[in-house]
Amino acid sequence: MEPVRYDDRQEIISLPLQPAAARKRRNWKKYLYAGLLLLPLLLFILGFFVVPMLYILYLSFIEMKGETNAVYSIGNYIQFFTDPYYLHSLWLTIKVSLYTVIVSLLLGYPVALTMAKCSPRVRGLLTLLVASPLLISIVVRNFGWYLLLLPNGTIHQLLTSLGITESPPKLLFSEAGVVIGLSNAYLPFMILSIATSLYNIDPSLEKAAAILGAGPLRSFVSITLPLSLPGIVSGIVLVFSMSMSAYVTPALMGGANVPMLPVVAYDQIINLLRWTYGSAVSYVLLGITLAIVTIFTRMMERGRYREVFR
Amino acid sequence: MKIFGKIRVAVALLSLVYILIPLLVTIPASFTSASYPSFPPQGFSLQWYTKLLERPEFVEAFWNSVKFAFLAAFFSVLLGTLGAIAIAKYDIPGKSYLVSLLTSPLTVPQLVLGIALLVYFTPMLLAGTPTGLLIAHIVICVPYVIRFVLTGLSGFDYTLERAAAILGANPLTVFWRVTLPLIRPAILSGALFSFLTSFDNVTVSLFMISSDMRTLPLEIFSNMQDAYSPIVASVSSVVIIISVVLILILEKIHGVGRLLGSSH
Repeated sequence: MEPVRYDDRQEIISLPLQPAAARKRRNWKKYLYAGLLLLPLLLFILGFFVVPMLYILYLSFIEMKGETNAVYSIGNYIQFFTDPYYLHSLWLTIKVSLYTVIVSLLLGYPVALTMAKCSPRVRGLLTLLVASPLLISIVVRNFGWYLLLLPNGTIHQLLTSLGITESPPKLLFSEAGVVIGLSNAYLPFMILSIATSLYNIDPSLEKAAAILGAGPLRSFVSITLPLSLPGIVSGIVLVFSMSMSAYVTPALMGGANVPMLPVVAYDQIINLLRWTYGSAVSYVLLGITLAIVTIFTRMMERGRYREVFR
Repeated sequence: MKIFGKIRVAVALLSLVYILIPLLVTIPASFTSASYPSFPPQGFSLQWYTKLLERPEFVEAFWNSVKFAFLAAFFSVLLGTLGAIAIAKYDIPGKSYLVSLLTSPLTVPQLVLGIALLVYFTPMLLAGTPTGLLIAHIVICVPYVIRFVLTGLSGFDYTLERAAAILGANPLTVFWRVTLPLIRPAILSGALFSFLTSFDNVTVSLFMISSDMRTLPLEIFSNMQDAYSPIVASVSSVVIIISVVLILILEKIHGVGRLLGSSH
């Protein structure tokens, strides 16, 4: 945040001229203006975001005994972590999110590297092409993949004609379909995040490496890659946490065959009307995602390349 | 040693195709003459566009989407701009915490937000009402407006306001004639971004709609789940065209990459 220059200057200009009381009154008036401008927004966010989030946290600790009898307990959480169905769903969600991260990283890094190395004009065009799909509805993008992944569709024909597979693999309504849909949706975040860290690398470092006799591969492995780690880490964190909580893509590309946790939570809330349990599942999803992301970030920040994170 | 660069460019092109291909196949597929969706399309016809106009639910959903997106953008800009100006201009204690609090809806998954708002709105009799849907959309749009306007104000020269005040302008005139024109690009991109965010939204809307009030993306969503028909391709193409036009305007005003870079 920029320091507020207006106030500083005014203080300097007005110090000898105005008595303390007038200044104090002015300050009080300023707080009033600030409060009036801020109040609607603050109340809105508190009332329609913070309170609802706390309300479902509270609900998650309520267990329904029968129809009407509600008691405080951690029963919802115990039920989650003892039921094999939900544990399998959690594991499936983590697994699919990890695959999505790997695909996005492998496909995204070369694009980010190209963006960092090309002329400003090309970079602007690439940024537009990479970022704009983010502003087009996910259902539309999923429908495009649905068309491509249909049995005997384009991808199947491509795979069989290239001789990669003989019998077409099941892509739609499978984990592979969900990974394709999710990585397609979140790849732009990975690319933009890595590109930002690549732009900050001092180009003279690579020149120095070349002068010292390093080939392009050596220079990439020991300079570019480590220095882009902060971007890689934040890209991984973004893509992973968004994949963990994605609902639309697993529902459309996986269907009932891939019951990821968001799909299960939706079912609990909308179809089974189990609000207290659904609230608990939401917080499990939030908690597990946060825990994995935190452990991963800490490990990277204390690892071999800890200097680049400072 | 040129091979390294060639592989990089090849993979980069491949991933660009990967990002854009779902959008590129949908529009041709909407011109199919077959009764099932496919790519490449079979033959050529406009039947799925004429059928689209004959389906009142799609037309109604389209106008609903436009209406909610417009209202969500309007209220997000109103709330967000005033709040951001207050934050940027006045010396408020705990400023960075305040900004984190006000933009925190971005850090919570939309699924969880949808669940929270549904459960919270039901006793308030707001669940399944237009007001509930609008509030939910403002919650997800307003953080973007706050960020854009704060970024727009970060290089703002407040002596301009002082100069106008010294020359006799009252505070409202100062705001209208000096402050607003200078942050207009930020506000405009906040409005367009909010419009698109609301227009595209599925996850939060899923929890907020009722059977007699749906938006276009939800109509596509339920049609994809129940009955696959090429009509989904023609609706999707309409959504793509509208989005692309708005994205190009956004790119002209502010740069799409810069906006997303600053928002994540």
